[in-house]
Amino acid sequence: MFASIYSSKIPAGVSLSDFAYSFSPLVEETAADTVVIDVDGCELLFGSAYQLAKTIVTSAASFPENGGLGCKVNVALAGNPDSSIFAARFFKGITFIAPGEELNCLGELPIEALGLIDPADPILETMKLWGVRTFQEFAKLPTAGVSERMGQLGVALQQLARGKTERHLKLRQPVPVFAHSVELEYPILLLEPLSFILARLLNQLCGNLEAYALATNELRLQLILEDGTLHERRLALPTPMRDHKVFLKLLLLDTEMHPPAAAIKAMSMACEPVKPRIVQNGLFMPLAPEPEKLELTLARVAKLVGPANLGSPELLDTHRPDAFRLKRFGTDGGTRRRGDAGTRGHTRVSSSPRPRVPASPRLPIPPSPLGFRVFRPPLRAMVETRQGYPTQINAWGKNGSVHGKVVQLSGPWRTMGDWWRVDGWARDEWDVTVVSQSQMEVFYRIYRDLAGGAWFVEGVYD
Amino acid sequence: MTDYVELHARSAFSFLEGSSAPEELVAACLNLEMPAMALLDRDGMYGAPRFHLAAKKNGIKAHIGAEITVQWGGDETTGRWGDGETRGHGDTKTRRHGDGEMRGQEDGEKRSTVSPSPYPPVPPSLPASHHLLSIPLLVKNRTGYQNLCRLISLMKLRVPKHARPGECAVTSEELAAQVDGLICLTGREDNPIADWRMPNADLIKNQQPRMEWLVDVFGKQNVYVELQRHFNRHEEARNQVLIELARRLHLPLLATNGVHYATAVQREVADVFTCIRNHVKLEQAGRLLAQNSERFLKPAGTMAKLFADLPEAIANTLDLSAQLGFTLEDLGYEFPKYPVPPGESMASFLRKRTHEGARLRYTGGSGVTPYERARPQLERELALIEKLKLEGYFLIVWDIIQFCKREGILVQGRGSAANSAVCYSLGITAVDPVGMELLFERFLSEERGEWPDIDLDLPSGDQRERTIQYVYQRYGQRGAAMTANVITYRGRSAAREVGKVLGFDDETLGRLSGLVHTWEWKDPKDSTARQFREAGLDLSDPKIKKFFQLYQAVQDLPRHLGQHSGGMVICQGQLDSVVPLEPAAMPGRVVVQWDKEDCADLGLIKVDLLGLGMMAVLEDSIQLIRDNYSKEVDLAQLPPDDPKVYAALQKADTIGMFQVESRAQMSCLPRLRPQKFYDIVVQVAIIRPGPIVGNMVHPYLKRRQGRLPVAYPHPSLEPVLKRTLGVPLFQEQLLKVAMICAGFSGGEAEELRRAFGFKRSEARMKEIEIKLRCGMERNGITGKAQDEIVQSITSFALYGFPESHAASFALIAYASAYLKCHYLEAFTAAILNNQPMGFYQPFTIIKDAQRHGLRVLPVDVTHSEWSCTLEGETGSGDEETRDAASPCPCVSASSLSPSPPVPPSPRLLLRLGLCYVKGLREEVGRAIARERSMTPFAGIDDLRNRVPELRKDELRKLATVGALNFIQSEKPMSKAQPSASAHRRDALWQVERVARPAGPLFETLHEADGNSPLAPMNLAERLDADFRGTGLTIGRHPVARYRDELNKLGVLRASELQALRNALVVRVAGWVIVRQRPGTAKGFLFLSLEDETGIANIIVAPQLFDKNRVVLVDHPFLLIEGILQNQDNVVSVKAKRVKPLSFKGVVTASHDFH
Repeated sequence: MFASIYSSKIPAGVSLSDFAYSFSPLVEETAADTVVIDVDGCELLFGSAYQLAKTIVTSAASFPENGGLGCKVNVALAGNPDSSIFAARFFKGITFIAPGEELNCLGELPIEALGLIDPADPILETMKLWGVRTFQEFAKLPTAGVSERMGQLGVALQQLARGKTERHLKLRQPVPVFAHSVELEYPILLLEPLSFILARLLNQLCGNLEAYALATNELRLQLILEDGTLHERRLALPTPMRDHKVFLKLLLLDTEMHPPAAAIKAMSMACEPVKPRIVQNGLFMPLAPEPEKLELTLARVAKLVGPANLGSPELLDTHRPDAFRLKRFGTDGGTRRRGDAGTRGHTRVSSSPRPRVPASPRLPIPPSPLGFRVFRPPLRAMVETRQGYPTQINAWGKNGSVHGKVVQLSGPWRTMGDWWRVDGWARDEWDVTVVSQSQMEVFYRIYRDLAGGAWFVEGVYD
Repeated sequence: MTDYVELHARSAFSFLEGSSAPEELVAACLNLEMPAMALLDRDGMYGAPRFHLAAKKNGIKAHIGAEITVQWGGDETTGRWGDGETRGHGDTKTRRHGDGEMRGQEDGEKRSTVSPSPYPPVPPSLPASHHLLSIPLLVKNRTGYQNLCRLISLMKLRVPKHARPGECAVTSEELAAQVDGLICLTGREDNPIADWRMPNADLIKNQQPRMEWLVDVFGKQNVYVELQRHFNRHEEARNQVLIELARRLHLPLLATNGVHYATAVQREVADVFTCIRNHVKLEQAGRLLAQNSERFLKPAGTMAKLFADLPEAIANTLDLSAQLGFTLEDLGYEFPKYPVPPGESMASFLRKRTHEGARLRYTGGSGVTPYERARPQLERELALIEKLKLEGYFLIVWDIIQFCKREGILVQGRGSAANSAVCYSLGITAVDPVGMELLFERFLSEERGEWPDIDLDLPSGDQRERTIQYVYQRYGQRGAAMTANVITYRGRSAAREVGKVLGFDDETLGRLSGLVHTWEWKDPKDSTARQFREAGLDLSDPKIKKFFQLYQAVQDLPRHLGQHSGGMVICQGQLDSVVPLEPAAMPGRVVVQWDKEDCADLGLIKVDLLGLGMMAVLEDSIQLIRDNYSKEVDLAQLPPDDPKVYAALQKADTIGMFQVESRAQMSCLPRLRPQKFYDIVVQVAIIRPGPIVGNMVHPYLKRRQGRLPVAYPHPSLEPVLKRTLGVPLFQEQLLKVAMICAGFSGGEAEELRRAFGFKRSEARMKEIEIKLRCGMERNGITGKAQDEIVQSITSFALYGFPESHAASFALIAYASAYLKCHYLEAFTAAILNNQPMGFYQPFTIIKDAQRHGLRVLPVDVTHSEWSCTLEGETGSGDEETRDAASPCPCVSASSLSPSPPVPPSPRLLLRLGLCYVKGLREEVGRAIARERSMTPFAGIDDLRNRVPELRKDELRKLATVGALNFIQSEKPMSKAQPSASAHRRDALWQVERVARPAGPLFETLHEADGNSPLAPMNLAERLDADFRGTGLTIGRHPVARYRDELNKLGVLRASELQALRNALVVRVAGWVIVRQRPGTAKGFLFLSLEDETGIANIIVAPQLFDKNRVVLVDHPFLLIEGILQNQDNVVSVKAKRVKPLSFKGVVTASHDFH
């Protein structure tokens, strides 16, 4: 005997399956609002099937804090799971279908209800054309005729309508949890004791991952501090890993770079389970560092230079001179998973918020006829002009200074773009020869930001 | 006057590579006081006529040219280009392209001339080093123009319309063969000269041979080294190379700005177009976008400053401009010649044909003008035709008419051609202009300086296509072409494309494009800000604001070139030297690069071969009458005063009739009460925006009804306006009014009409009005009379019908009415076979025909052809057939019950064709009819076996609409039903089995128990299946099913309204078959509500419309409560309350006029 529990008004945050487990360990989660339990063997605990149904209804009505659902449910008992599902969904309260009485009980149900059990859209469309509206009408059709017209799917559906199906429950497997937490007896202030706690949590986490043959590409650490605040860190990994030693080193490096503001009194750690990386490198592929080692190295470098200054520069496809962004290092090129490409907290750097440009017909980058040394950052300059042409330059900066009279110039070379955005830009460049006080001629590139009016020396030609 | 002329500009007619209309460029040129300008669009001269006309109007010299894409076959290492040694860019492989297979030329083969074939082969595959270049060419003289046209035609015609970039190009040899009269500029960054990707020294060495090749081909005096300065470092580096090359080869320098837009701000639109062209968003376009906004038309001073170091480059622009003597005035177009027998001239041949025809038409019989009376008019017209050398044109049109007559294709001239007695005599038109005293000058006048325009109406579909193909065949692929139709950015398409480029998501795009209202009537309260607000979009958001700016900026800019529906230009084999030609999307068709208006403006003569659905209906009706009634109907010999026709017209019983079936026409007919043919001419012309806007409808009707006296604005106008009771209704009348009152000549009067025509210009209208008033003053017409005349002319000229055109249409209207009144079965079948057309859906046409007694039979695979046909009545024992075939099943509920078999009678019944089964493919439908004609189908299995292309879904559709009900069953299904499946579900039961493959072992076995266990469909289900499956029902009207409930609500039938008194509050309900909100109706909405007895006309005031917009626009069934208006037997209900009704099972949409 099977009992189906259905409710369309289950409050948010309450699980019908969890509720069902309190009556039987054999639970099928048919839908979010429907579960089926096998009640055979529950007699000793709950009495007869009807008494069990009454208990379910009563328990469900109680508040979630008391182990209930906080809502009314329909319960239907039948000899097969599908009949009990139909009855629970369409009949209020408690329904008991005696064996052999399925069709009598379910005969008036609309034929569309079959779609709840089996996705049978084309067949339902045919039945609509046939004028078959109820289970009863479908059940009456000759099975041979149905078979000839709809094949085995039609026969199976007809059996469903007749209440004659037999099947096992698709039992629900408990969902593995990849999160652990610990509450400390006394607050931790130093890195060393923290490392022991972290190691313990990571061991458990990685053990769980290994048990399910999974890895993770994201670690989340939450530290509850003594002052009541929450310190959160998220490590996005370039490839799925589950090496607890690497994780520990990464977390410690990250904590060194971003130390919590107060002593730690509790912590929890969670990860995003994903399938592990399975890569078979080609025989003649150049060797690349292992991702775990590279990640560790990068984390160490980031600690030294700052996460904003780590990565490989990538030129942006724009007329804007010198526009680039930092692309994070990686060994697997474009095969990275969600969360990488700058999502990791300490490596996300970009000089521009532009999205990555897809492949499209591109113009070649013209070569520069001369070597050009760029001042980074450009030198802020004061430029005297006559009829719009620069005549005198004075500029200072960390990288040096430029002072002198302009004796030769070419320009302006005008670029402007992003006019559709509020931060559109425009600038005029000039190539100028400046005679310094020592009468030496130096060839500079200067530019004027047309939006702000400021002048800069961008660099010097070799 | 300035010292600089821009000689390299591009307009939006470079299609997504320029962002200003030619007129905008000219306006900017005028603003800068530039004396001349050159337009060089990419691979075409699409914008040249507009550029020329705008420049001419403003006294600017318009130089013409184009940038030509050339497939360069040079050698990268030597730079040799196009000479004998390096020209071998072919291989010996064959290459399939389009329909033909072409063989490439062998390496080294010298090709100095263009292939003589009309479609030269595509050059064979080129090695990777070969690439495309764009060479700007300016036209120096007419030869150059002709060469340029031929070059463009050459490149366009050898590839399909939607060829990929690179396929459409000329080779360097082809270019070299046709360079006379052309000036070559060395061009922009994609030109053959100065590739900046290499160092300057190498570049000069590499490029010099290329430049030398250009000099060899064009001649030293015809090559200018073009320099452009857009504040671009690399461009300037290239310029230095070019300057050095020019110095070495002693070539002149030429400064241009490579203009892409008239003003700097239009750079944004240019960038948007770049994105659309490359299918990217602005954010992703990167360096595909322009580097800056410098490609606008710059003043001479700015250009002089930019080229201060090279003053000769500026000075040369004026010198070169002075050399360019060609303008589009000097097009060199000649009228087509018609081959005449030896010893005849075209004039004598035309004269003979005209008089021959005139003697046949002007017989002097009852009501027919005698030949002698027509002769002076004919002579006058022939003299003018000869003087203007238009004989060839008339003979060509005559030849088309002869072809149609030979092939049995119905054809009739319309438009102003009907004003010509010559056209009437040649059989081109069907209206006697002498008898009707039509004004010949409206058609042709010496002063006007433009060519006549003859429009021919042909049956839409195959017949029209056959005629078009005849013209191509007769005059050659390069002798005839369709006129183009420039598709512009408008409405939703513009909103969607601009929105996409700006990166809006699909939901926002939907909302933005939904903002573009398509109703013809624009509510003045509908401000842009309000529309945006209502759509949940904030105009203060910079991105939305930018969208709006760009959306407005792209409005009316060209998007791509389409094909005009029927305009053909004919030029006796040399059309490609007059205007560039290109292929149309439709195979076998060629289009010119100019649209209809451009062709007319530049004096290209054209014939419009227009498809008219009603012509096809008339033709089909005649055939059906011939086949089923054994009668021959000659449209030219119809009785002119048929009482049935006028009775139907007076009652406004005109559904399906040409031009008089619209709601507005129906409400006018009972007032006008046509009694003779001329009344139909008036009826056709009166419901037009011109008379409506000019307030001429009511005065005419009141005078006709005797409620107002007939009066004339001036006594001298009585002869002109007498026929229309003193109210001007036709364009010819206005011209005559101008001629009489203001002393205008015929040509001047026609000029007046054009001034007030589509391309209105305030200044020109004012000018003509002054001339008109002065003329009237001279003739003593002053004060109120003068104002009245001026008012009628100005408000009318744009939208009025010419009388000749109205008369041509009235003939077709009369013919359609005659056929409907006398051969309802044939006419209805023909109209159903030519859908979509007219105002009404097939359902309404069938219901109307049933109300007139027509019996309609359902779709049936044992009888139906692909089209609707007629059958003799034999009686049927089937319930569904009797129900369906009832002449008026909608009012006879008893017809649903079994009745004794109807005895056979000779009466004809209409059998619905398989074409009405939605989703059934035509080839399958025709295959069913073909197979059945050989042997009747023995069952559904047999049908499936013999028509294997029938898909399961098609079989289901046939079964659902009852088309398989009468098929004989191979195996008797039961003793009670010995030989046929009785209802649709039986068929559906069988179809499911038949359509499912049983495998070889079982396929020959029949079902053990053939009885269907399914219940028959009830009436509601049948109705639902009919509408879903065919879009109509021949059974009861859907509203009839709910009559009892409607009666309880006090709802009247449509037929009951006629008998009620005016101003009564009534309730009507029905299916909305037409919604109209015309621009001339000040926001009023007109609904036609159909029930089982007829149609009720509803008027909805703007306030009520605003309140119930959603219900009125979207809901198929409405209940309206309102006040009955019965004026002169025209009944309508002025709505006060609107309520939607929930009737299930009908899914056919109404016919809404936006």
